[in-house]
Amino acid sequence: MSSWRTTAALSRTAALGALGVATAVLFGEPAVMVLTAPFLLMGALGLLHRPTSTPVARSVVDHVVLHEGQGTRSRLVVSDLSGVEHVTRVAATAPYLALHPAAGRTGRLVGGDEDVPLLEVSPRRWGRRDLGEENVAFTSPWAGYRWGPARLDGSRLQVLPVRAAFDSRAEAPQPLGLVGAHRSRRPGDGTEFAAIRRFHTGDRLRRIHWRVSLRTDALHVVSTLGEEDTAVLVVVDALADHGRSGGVDGAASSLDVTARAAAALAEHHVRRGDRVSLRVVGSGGETVRYGAGARHLQVILGRLATMQVGTPRDLRGDQLQLGVTAGTVVIVLSPMLSEAMATMTATLVQRGLPVLVVDTLPAEVTPAVVEGTDPRVAGLAWRMRLVERREVLARLAALGCPVVAWRGPGTLDDVLRRLARRAQLPQVRTR
Amino acid sequence: MIREWTRGQWGLRVTAALGPVLALLATTPAGVQPRGWLVVLVAVLSLAHARLPESPVGTVAMGAVVVWWGVAFREGPDAWAIPAAAALVASHVAALLAGYGPDALGVDPATLRRWLVRAGAAFLLAPGAWLVAAAFRDRGEVPGVWVTGLVLALVAVVAGSYALNRGAER
Repeated sequence: MSSWRTTAALSRTAALGALGVATAVLFGEPAVMVLTAPFLLMGALGLLHRPTSTPVARSVVDHVVLHEGQGTRSRLVVSDLSGVEHVTRVAATAPYLALHPAAGRTGRLVGGDEDVPLLEVSPRRWGRRDLGEENVAFTSPWAGYRWGPARLDGSRLQVLPVRAAFDSRAEAPQPLGLVGAHRSRRPGDGTEFAAIRRFHTGDRLRRIHWRVSLRTDALHVVSTLGEEDTAVLVVVDALADHGRSGGVDGAASSLDVTARAAAALAEHHVRRGDRVSLRVVGSGGETVRYGAGARHLQVILGRLATMQVGTPRDLRGDQLQLGVTAGTVVIVLSPMLSEAMATMTATLVQRGLPVLVVDTLPAEVTPAVVEGTDPRVAGLAWRMRLVERREVLARLAALGCPVVAWRGPGTLDDVLRRLARRAQLPQVRTR
Repeated sequence: MIREWTRGQWGLRVTAALGPVLALLATTPAGVQPRGWLVVLVAVLSLAHARLPESPVGTVAMGAVVVWWGVAFREGPDAWAIPAAAALVASHVAALLAGYGPDALGVDPATLRRWLVRAGAAFLLAPGAWLVAAAFRDRGEVPGVWVTGLVLALVAVVAGSYALNRGAER
């Protein structure tokens, strides 16, 4: 840890004071003392205010879990501020971290009504964000002594993706659960009208439809459809990040769109009482099992924030274990630039599962190329890649897998309704 | 880096650079023209002092000015020593404020106000010393006054150091 040391200002005042006295004595000229008398006074006061404390400083943030765009404060906790007049804090800048005051530099007087200066921190992109190292210096009254600059470790923030605006009124295509909000294909004790049929033993008397019963001379009852929950599997393509991210207020990369859309979908379905699972296809292979409730949603968001981007070894789309059961709605969030993702999606579709792809490739994305690459070659390669992608999307559509671009509310309504209608038709499934 | 300087930092640096030069040139209206090479030397050192306020180069620049004032005048203190003292104090305080943090650190207004008050109070010693020196100018030199003053200053320094060390040990 650091210790108190004399400042350059104190050395200057002491040297000039001594030089003034020496010059005055040597040349017998008191005018020199006129020049150096203020320095003698400032130097003496600097010496007199020599601090005796041993400060121990650490930097803490008020909140370590935030959403993109939210802000928190980084506080400097000092064990002993006696003898400290001025505090300087200089935080290192880090990508996607906005600091206030700008550039993370602040300095002010402390003591009395003045507190240790705060730094306001706002992460601009989801993920793990490390606040850079911080240098702290304390200065004694009359700037005689300085403690530091001492280097403090920065905190780590877990930045959850901001939940994109999303809402859907469409029901799940194949609800297969216990109690939920989706209209089941099976009759049950719900509220959705199904039919008026003849009375059977066991029917509740309050279900009798008297008008039809009187007209037909036979008891008829109103039958309803059951209401069930459904399982939703959100598959996130984290094999690569295409495009340049400008943070929450700027341009979105493919992974930005993916993470924010996944967060929005997870929140929507959790709030509707569905069981939601997450599978990240990336080097980390993050997985969240099926679950419901607010705490489960936080787990999903946390896992999205910490997902690792990259291609795992031996990635094969047809061998990915997703743990999908019948009736599960699979939502694949992907720019579909990977063969493995396309294969995985096609495999799921052929199993007869309701699968839909949300295309997360931003419209104006440009490829990231190695420095020195001929831009014409890079442009040509990217165009070829896009042609391949179009072909993949067309083949998926031909298999019966709808592909929609993410556009927030209503993105999935139409395709989910179509999937629900299709689910009522007889199908041939492959395993 | 100079590009990172805020407007406040620019003000501090300019003050730090101009102070020693103005203090040196203040001997001109008093009748003594400083040597050209000395002006250039002090100007260069002052610029370096403004760029690196925590370095000892500022002490060298201001020390050269102090020595020049001692060499230039042998017939009592001149009133121009008071504005020269003000320029030196301003340069010192500007460098001190600039040294509170890195180049891009803004200037805290409260800190600036406090140091303006302090510098003003410390500067009052300069006209005080000039008045005392002027009062005793015509009375002739008392034998042994310089030696006595030096001994008293040394005793004060030793006593102060002893007191400070005792305070630190506690």
